[in-house]
Amino acid sequence: MSKSLILLTSSLFAAVRMAVPLSYAGIGESVAQTSGVLNIGVEGMMLSGAFFSFFMTFYSGSVVLGILFGMLAGMVFGLLHAYISVTAKQNQTISGLAINFLVLGLTSFFFLVFFGDATSLPSIETLPVLPIPLLSRIPVIGPAFFSHDILTYILYLVMVLSTIYLKKTDYGTSLEAVGENPRAADTAGINVNKTRYLASMFNGLLCGLAGSYMMVVQFGFYIENLTAGRGYIALAAVTLGRRNPIAVFFVSLLIGMTEGLQFTLQSIGVPIPSQIFSMMPYLVAVIVLLLSIGRSNDPQTLGQPYDRMERE
Amino acid sequence: MQRLKRSLNYLIPAGIVLAVIIVLLLIIGADIGHVLNSFAGGLFGNRYQVGEIFVKATPLLLVGLGCAIGFNCGLVNLGAEGQLYMGAVAATAVAVNGEGMPKLLLLLLMMLAGIVAGGLWALIPGIMKAKFGLSEVIMGLMLNYIAIHFNSLSIRTFLKDPDYPFPMSKTFSPAAQLPIFLERTRFHAGFLIALILAFIIWVFLWKSPKGFEIRACGCNPRASHCVGINVNRNLIMASLFSGGLAGIAGFVEVAGVQHKLMDGISSNYGYLAIMVALLGKKHPFGVIIVSILLGMLEIGGLAAQRQAGIPNSITSVILGAVVVVFLLRDRIAINKQGVTNV
Amino acid sequence: MKIEMTNISKAFFGTPVLEGVDFSIESGEVHALLGENGAGKTTLMNILYGFYEKDGGDIYIDGEKVLIDSPKTALELGIGMVHQHFQLVETLTVGETITLGLKEEGYPFSNRKQINRRILDLSSQYGLEVDPRKRIKNLSVGERQRVEIMKLLYRSAKILILDEPTAVLSPPEIETFFDVLAQLKAAGHGIVIITHKIKEVEQISDMITVLRDGKCVLNCNLKETDESCLSQAMIGRTLKRREREMRQFDLEKPCLELQEVTICEDKLQVLDSFSLKIAPGEIVGVAGVDGNGQQALAESIIGIQGVTSGKVLLNGEEIQSLSILKRLNKGIGYIPADRHQDALLLSMDLNQNMLLKKHFNSRYLKHGLIDDKKTDEYTRNLVDKYHIKAISNEQAIRYLSGGNQQKFVLARELDAGLKLLVVFQPTRGLDMGATEFVQNQLVELSQQGTAVLLISTDLQEIMSLSDRITVIYKGQNMGELSNDGDLDVLKIGYMMGGSKNATA
Repeated sequence: MSKSLILLTSSLFAAVRMAVPLSYAGIGESVAQTSGVLNIGVEGMMLSGAFFSFFMTFYSGSVVLGILFGMLAGMVFGLLHAYISVTAKQNQTISGLAINFLVLGLTSFFFLVFFGDATSLPSIETLPVLPIPLLSRIPVIGPAFFSHDILTYILYLVMVLSTIYLKKTDYGTSLEAVGENPRAADTAGINVNKTRYLASMFNGLLCGLAGSYMMVVQFGFYIENLTAGRGYIALAAVTLGRRNPIAVFFVSLLIGMTEGLQFTLQSIGVPIPSQIFSMMPYLVAVIVLLLSIGRSNDPQTLGQPYDRMERE
Repeated sequence: MQRLKRSLNYLIPAGIVLAVIIVLLLIIGADIGHVLNSFAGGLFGNRYQVGEIFVKATPLLLVGLGCAIGFNCGLVNLGAEGQLYMGAVAATAVAVNGEGMPKLLLLLLMMLAGIVAGGLWALIPGIMKAKFGLSEVIMGLMLNYIAIHFNSLSIRTFLKDPDYPFPMSKTFSPAAQLPIFLERTRFHAGFLIALILAFIIWVFLWKSPKGFEIRACGCNPRASHCVGINVNRNLIMASLFSGGLAGIAGFVEVAGVQHKLMDGISSNYGYLAIMVALLGKKHPFGVIIVSILLGMLEIGGLAAQRQAGIPNSITSVILGAVVVVFLLRDRIAINKQGVTNV
Repeated sequence: MKIEMTNISKAFFGTPVLEGVDFSIESGEVHALLGENGAGKTTLMNILYGFYEKDGGDIYIDGEKVLIDSPKTALELGIGMVHQHFQLVETLTVGETITLGLKEEGYPFSNRKQINRRILDLSSQYGLEVDPRKRIKNLSVGERQRVEIMKLLYRSAKILILDEPTAVLSPPEIETFFDVLAQLKAAGHGIVIITHKIKEVEQISDMITVLRDGKCVLNCNLKETDESCLSQAMIGRTLKRREREMRQFDLEKPCLELQEVTICEDKLQVLDSFSLKIAPGEIVGVAGVDGNGQQALAESIIGIQGVTSGKVLLNGEEIQSLSILKRLNKGIGYIPADRHQDALLLSMDLNQNMLLKKHFNSRYLKHGLIDDKKTDEYTRNLVDKYHIKAISNEQAIRYLSGGNQQKFVLARELDAGLKLLVVFQPTRGLDMGATEFVQNQLVELSQQGTAVLLISTDLQEIMSLSDRITVIYKGQNMGELSNDGDLDVLKIGYMMGGSKNATA
């Protein structure tokens, strides 16, 4: 393969690695937002997934158990957010913020408590790379997309399944109704609150998985604040991808590519400062938001609690 | 009986938070007495420590005041962190280029630059919300990251100190530094500026007709519109004030504490301040108290870490827990009242 | 299928809303349920639909007593209702909307093609043109109504209750709607139409029931009655006349003048060439059933809604392009129908609410800042003068009773030198004492020279207070009558039902 193709392949590969946690979190957030729940606490839920999966993996020796535990942790915080937002009907932005601080504190605290005395950095085995036979041989695309770990392949599955769920099933229709016009959904016999609770918990579950992925695949160990703002980038991806799981993945891929592009350009000697690249996803998100004026397709009641007793 | 119920409604949430703290301490196996000792010592042990409380509290107070104005108008200023950074960059630009100017003038210009930069940065989501009903939350969040990276860019390019290899601005000349209020501490005049501003804001919001309009818009924008109040104009004004105050916080951090611009000039002050404003019941005096309390929590926590080995992250846990409990206060309360929203 | 409701009674918080009402509907029949606001028609149907619980009486279906405890039960029994405000999700398709909440075969992977085919079959059966693949947001009002009806037909409803179905339709859409009705009837469905439009009733119904003040006053076949009989039944003859002396008003220099004011919203004319003059000191009452453009009328004068065409003049000066603030500053007061949404700051206390319109008035200021003491004093004076029951001025206004809140709004508006006061439903939800007080205040105000535009669905109120009465129907001014001894109440009924004032 020529040099540029090798470069492209490795950039893509790196982009996919970057895109996986963003996509997991982004898909979860897309589901929650479709139901009308705005979750700024994605960062915290991802972080909880990262820490608790590390904790469980380290002490139980089983990566599977660890990942499951990480997902559970994320789900618990998703449940908390649902309680504050849906039942207590409080401001969802502040709830998310509080969860972020709470989780940051808890994970750092417990990390120091359980692992602070270690002389060397406690680590676990990262997940092995499992190239898919045949598919991984396709030039460029093969190594880039199909020579990853099992969690990446599960993401592909989740992407497809969630898109089917949202667009092709009755569950998806009900979810959309709950976010757009909860009163109409309520009248039609749909349990609005239950739907939002489940959506928020699913959001937490996937965020926990995203954090677990980062820990288990990218790092192999835990450090304080491992996620370092990825959750907020995921929010940008959700906005840019308009809550469509496949679009969210491709947006995440693009975000990953711009990071890779930055290194490539620097190695060639183009003096574009790296901060411009870091700004990119957010800048584009702002532009998309500005362009969507008047044609916003946010769910009508995003961020607003539903009260059956309230007069119209 | 009413009195008893009401005091219980404060005690129960406090009790919950206390229980969380105690559980965490027990997990570590800490000696609670020793912890309390180091915490208190960290606060009042010597004059430097006391000064540190106010150093920590100042940016929280300033941004908190801004967020409180926003809340009073129905805005959640999630973009405060970014506005702080823009204010810091602007103030630094003035400081670095204004060498030779008399101190008072220079500081005033720096503060002005901070206000304008922060205010304009807040205007973007503000106008979007006022004119187009676009949510200020996601917009503000995205702008935060753009501002933070812009800050990083600035100290590596046009604001970079040519004499040092590290990314940071030139160290400010003494004329560009805020005077120290308490000698042998870092307690700088920024806190006094904040107090004065708190008083002005209180008078403005609660005593002036224009401030009343802003609060009315936050309370019931429809009714305000029906009596002839221009709700959009008030939203924009509240955004400007909110951003301007965050910008002043940026100015105060570079001029009063760091004396230069660098990465990480704010330790999440913008986000913490939202919670400060919430817990301070959107009122300037409440914000003053809560920001000082949070400052005490941080400084005492650092001391407890140094001397009793308690991880400083417990501060974050406490803050998060307090806010969660605060949000759920109506569910926990004995006499259940109706739904309340910020 | 035949449904019989016998001796139905219902009270809300001790106030009787329905007393001993009988009603029946059977397959193949179109039954109009006529009455003014507050007559009880919607309540009666909400009971049949399972939304409310009846206090007394029974419901029989084909001779068997049934208990309808929820809309779900009602649907299972074959009864469905289309409300005035549609419950539609904008982003869904027609097909998705119709089956929302249902578990069709293949759930959760419902076969959309099959469902859509079934919908198309059903729709052609009834002449209800709907395209299952279109999105709700792209539908016209008439199409949306058809979707709402389809929702019921899809669930095999046999009896359909339609609440004011023509309220939001344009004339051609109304014709289409009548065709649909005919088809439904031919297919054997029983249809109840809740309405106040006498003219339409004559066109489409077989049976007619008129409710007034919670009681059934007329139940007959269309052939057995006529417009005058229905009008009379609807408003009754026992309205008390006003006890004030007649006053003469010169309309040469009117205080308020509306010239052909039209407001268009989504191709519908909410206000249709509405013209009106009010002299200083005159009370003009605008009667009409709710939903005929009253809100638009009030808001077009205040400036909350802009006019599409026409002029609004205050003392000869055109104000239709001015901002709300400028208009209010020229001496206009407004007491809206929904005081919680439009007039009060619920979480703030009495003093703050008093400031709401007047915060720039120098009366409350000292050196440019709000003078709390003066504000408190003024508020206290008004609280005493208007007998407003509140624990203190610092109490949040949401804790005051409805009557006291309304008195407060009145006190706030009346306190300035008003040229014009627009009141919309001033005494809705108030007890007798508060009602009397408010009405007296309005009269007093008019005697001081303020022009009063009284918009109300309470006909008795209009009759007691107005010097002149006009009726609004579908946004039009149906005619004006002088409220003197010669007033024929029947004429008002005609106009409220849709006939223009035919002055012989």
